[in-house]
Amino acid sequence: MFRGAISIWRRDMLVLRRSIVSELVSVIAYPLTLYLAFGVGLKGYISDVDGIPYAIFIAPGLISMTAVNAAFDESAWSMWFHRKVQRTIEEYRVTPITVYDIVIGKIFCGFSHGAIKGIAVALVIFLLTPFRFQLLHILTYLFFIFFGSMIFSCLGTICGTIIDKPENIGRMQGVVIVPLIFMSGIFFPLSSYPAAILPFINSLPTTAIFEGARRALLSGSIEYAYALTIAATAAIVFALAVIIFDRKIEE
Amino acid sequence: MNSAISLQSISKFFNGLQAVKDFSLDVERGTIFGLLGPNGAGKTTLIKILTTLMRPTSGDAVIGGYSVLREGKSVRRIIGVVPQENNLDRYLTARENLVLHARMHGIRAGEYNPRIDRLLELTGLTGRQHDFPDTFSGGMQRRLVAIRALVHNPLVLFLDEPTTGLDPQSRRALWDYIQSLRTTMTIFLTTHYMDEADALCDRIVIMDHGKALVDGTAAQLKEAFAHAHVYELEFRANSDRYEEILRTLPFVAHFGRKGNRFRLELADEESLKPLMDRIGSADIKGICLHEPSLEDVFIGLTGKKVRE
Repeated sequence: MFRGAISIWRRDMLVLRRSIVSELVSVIAYPLTLYLAFGVGLKGYISDVDGIPYAIFIAPGLISMTAVNAAFDESAWSMWFHRKVQRTIEEYRVTPITVYDIVIGKIFCGFSHGAIKGIAVALVIFLLTPFRFQLLHILTYLFFIFFGSMIFSCLGTICGTIIDKPENIGRMQGVVIVPLIFMSGIFFPLSSYPAAILPFINSLPTTAIFEGARRALLSGSIEYAYALTIAATAAIVFALAVIIFDRKIEE
Repeated sequence: MNSAISLQSISKFFNGLQAVKDFSLDVERGTIFGLLGPNGAGKTTLIKILTTLMRPTSGDAVIGGYSVLREGKSVRRIIGVVPQENNLDRYLTARENLVLHARMHGIRAGEYNPRIDRLLELTGLTGRQHDFPDTFSGGMQRRLVAIRALVHNPLVLFLDEPTTGLDPQSRRALWDYIQSLRTTMTIFLTTHYMDEADALCDRIVIMDHGKALVDGTAAQLKEAFAHAHVYELEFRANSDRYEEILRTLPFVAHFGRKGNRFRLELADEESLKPLMDRIGSADIKGICLHEPSLEDVFIGLTGKKVRE
């Protein structure tokens, strides 16, 4: 069972292992720059948020952002590349594996990329941060990162499946993914939103991921509404990824 | 018949356009079968249906006893596919490409490693097994794609234009290799090269517009289309005068001229005697019957018009 998914995952991990250093350098650079600019450079200008130093306030969001971005990037580009450029998806499809194997394999590859890169950024930020987090908090935080990466990996798989032109994947990231991530309060508290739109912001899966993850890491608490939103979103986008892939390859 | 492949009234529509029309066919076990046709004839659509990459709109096909509609996974277990394009994984070495394929088939390392060694050896790729396919020539990449399709020892091998883009030496090498497989598996081949079909195939079907036009061995097809009334005629002198004469003869359907050489298409075989009576033998340097090639058969059936 899932032999194909495991084979695809092993293939992607082999390729990642070959380029792990350059991958990590490039993936750490962006959040680290943001962290140094906002968390360190501006710390004298920004007061604590809800009693939490600003550098600590933004750390969970930056780690989560790295993880979900990496998951999305890997799934979207990998699926597109294997489908349109290498056409290796066609090679997979003439072996005795199922569509589920391919989608699950690709989703777990995206998730693994997200997890590895998120952990790398976390280690760097934790080294730069004077505060230490409790192990239980970190475990709770991982729940959100796990499902967050899974959701973004599924979204990436969907994009890589339906988008034929590579520039449109970039546009999707710029117009949909990045705004959704930033709207979820990585750099500011949700209480900054006007009360009228706060329910809408709170209903976004990205808010559930980022705000839920932050609360989990900083206080160890699990917001069940957020956890439910994440689990339901993960189930829906996974089903969508499978259905869309199945239909697309029939074309 | 002991069929390895059986197509039962396969039809396929794309947005209202019928790519394959009620296509039925049986391919005997252990043979090399050639499917010929111009671009857009429906060959690749048929191969995609037979390899479970595409579902037919209606009809079914049975490969090695398994239905492509209901038992796709079992079909894929017993087939090998060499697609038109070299869809190798450029981030994996040659050997890793083969290993990934073996793992997809659930083969254990103890079983696939010696087999991969043998296939690499057979195709002269052993020395390059740890290199990436991007560094290979077109012929080497094609050989790698071909042996990848054989790692799991398939019963039926589908080759979709396997030698397109290869130099003559690489083509010949791949032909030899395909010939060597005929004892162990059934081979379903599509090609644009008539010499390839002629050299390799035990049986040939020419299709166009989604339908089979003719079916038989290369010799049978050529025989069926050998009308025995196309002649090549060469004069020693007075070619212009003979051209005027040929123009007036009602039984000369068409003729073409290149210097003193004429290519004549007569209305029927019986027209040869009145032709000779009319032009005499004084200035004739040579006359010969034009033997049809498989390409003549192909062009005769599918036309000369270039397809998109």
